[in-house]
Amino acid sequence: MQTSSSSSSLCAIVPVDCIFNASNQLAYPCSFNLGLLRGSRNLKVSRLKAGFWESIRSGLIKNNSTQVIEPLSSPQEEEEPLPEEFVLVEKTLPDGTIEQIIFSSGGDVDVYDLQALCDKVGWPRRPLSKLAAALRNSYMVATLHSVKKSAGEEANNNKKLIGMARATSDHAFNATIWDVLVDPSYQGQGLGKALIEKIIRALLQRDIGNITLFADSKVVEFYRNLGFEPDPEGIKGMFWYPRF
Amino acid sequence: MAVVGSVHGGYLSSKLQTLPPVKILNTQKRSIHHRRPPTPPIFISTNLSHVNPIHLRDLYSSCNHSCHRFPNIFPDGRVEPVDVAKLRIALSHSSVVVSVFARPSLPENLNTGGDWYRKMIPLTPFSGELVGFGRAVSDNGLTASIYDVVVIPSLQGRGIGRMILQRIVRLLTNKGIYDIAALCSDEEMEFFKACGFGDDILGSTTMMYSRSGNDDDDMVKSAGRKLLMVPPLKLQRKINH
Repeated sequence: MQTSSSSSSLCAIVPVDCIFNASNQLAYPCSFNLGLLRGSRNLKVSRLKAGFWESIRSGLIKNNSTQVIEPLSSPQEEEEPLPEEFVLVEKTLPDGTIEQIIFSSGGDVDVYDLQALCDKVGWPRRPLSKLAAALRNSYMVATLHSVKKSAGEEANNNKKLIGMARATSDHAFNATIWDVLVDPSYQGQGLGKALIEKIIRALLQRDIGNITLFADSKVVEFYRNLGFEPDPEGIKGMFWYPRF
Repeated sequence: MAVVGSVHGGYLSSKLQTLPPVKILNTQKRSIHHRRPPTPPIFISTNLSHVNPIHLRDLYSSCNHSCHRFPNIFPDGRVEPVDVAKLRIALSHSSVVVSVFARPSLPENLNTGGDWYRKMIPLTPFSGELVGFGRAVSDNGLTASIYDVVVIPSLQGRGIGRMILQRIVRLLTNKGIYDIAALCSDEEMEFFKACGFGDDILGSTTMMYSRSGNDDDDMVKSAGRKLLMVPPLKLQRKINH
């Protein structure tokens, strides 16, 4: 892979490209240039050298910089929001049982529990594998569980999923909140509000400023009270329509 | 992701002709194109490592596009350039990244004579100039959102933006994601409509968090020109296990 003189500056393209592009699976084979330009005149060769070296140089600069992005995130950054878990509400029921509503973010959600909850609120069923993948790849999944402890009994882990909200994000600028739901028998207590506020808080802490969601007509007021504005400054959300 | 569908024109024809017809490896409906100037020869890549964040920032600046929805606008109308570090983070967490490269435009006096060889250099992400971009963020299961679709002004209206969008949609639907959303301003709405996007079937309203606060009392975070209010921390009790 040594470069010698004039016309072999053309050959120089071959190894250099191959070195730097090995991992990038270029559609063009590296030896493309070899046959074409061998017979060039000296004048053209000198211009050729200038032209090709420029492109090689710029290629070298591009490839040697530390700006190449890897799909995986760098380890020193705090990527995910820190998982939190705390008691949001605690109350004593008439029969003496203590019920705690526990907020949790970053915890694992059982997809079967989630599907049962979706059925309760009347949402259409979605494939479980897709649901699980979506939860795994969301930036933040906030859940509410209800834990009931009967008076007198010690370990009574009666933990029930009663609310969830999740957000997807690119970790820098944009986030969208999807799938906000609260068990109908627990609605009206400010639990949904707490879920959303927590998510907004977590997103803003990471300087993620574009927080979007797509609200059903029935819940537009709910989100308006939380600080969301419909179609701000003429921005609309559009969806893809499959054309067959 | 591997490079898909490279485009390169037939340059065996003479340079005296106008841009030669483009041989596109993935089939496009040609009938749509006859009212619009032909698509220039371009190289579409879906490989994240082909994107140089600095070039992307410059592309955004030349398109006057900001990643913030409510950007700071300088008095002459330009938007604040995007922060490259944040851009890098955003790109590394985008599920789909489509970048379009074209040949760097030649200065006029070199178009004739001995510079024909320049057109023979294969167009690759390393020899070409970044002229178009688009990305999508998804949860790889159910939903996706498309952001930041831009094409430089000199090559707009030639089908490049449409190609970018179609590529993004195709990559998402190949993974089984059909719920694809895109936020757009008034100017971009026509473009998205022409590419097959429309209002939500279920009639949902797009809403964005825009509650602002004052710098002194509330805790605020800046997002472009808005100072968004961070919801206050309510009384909590940590669980003692």
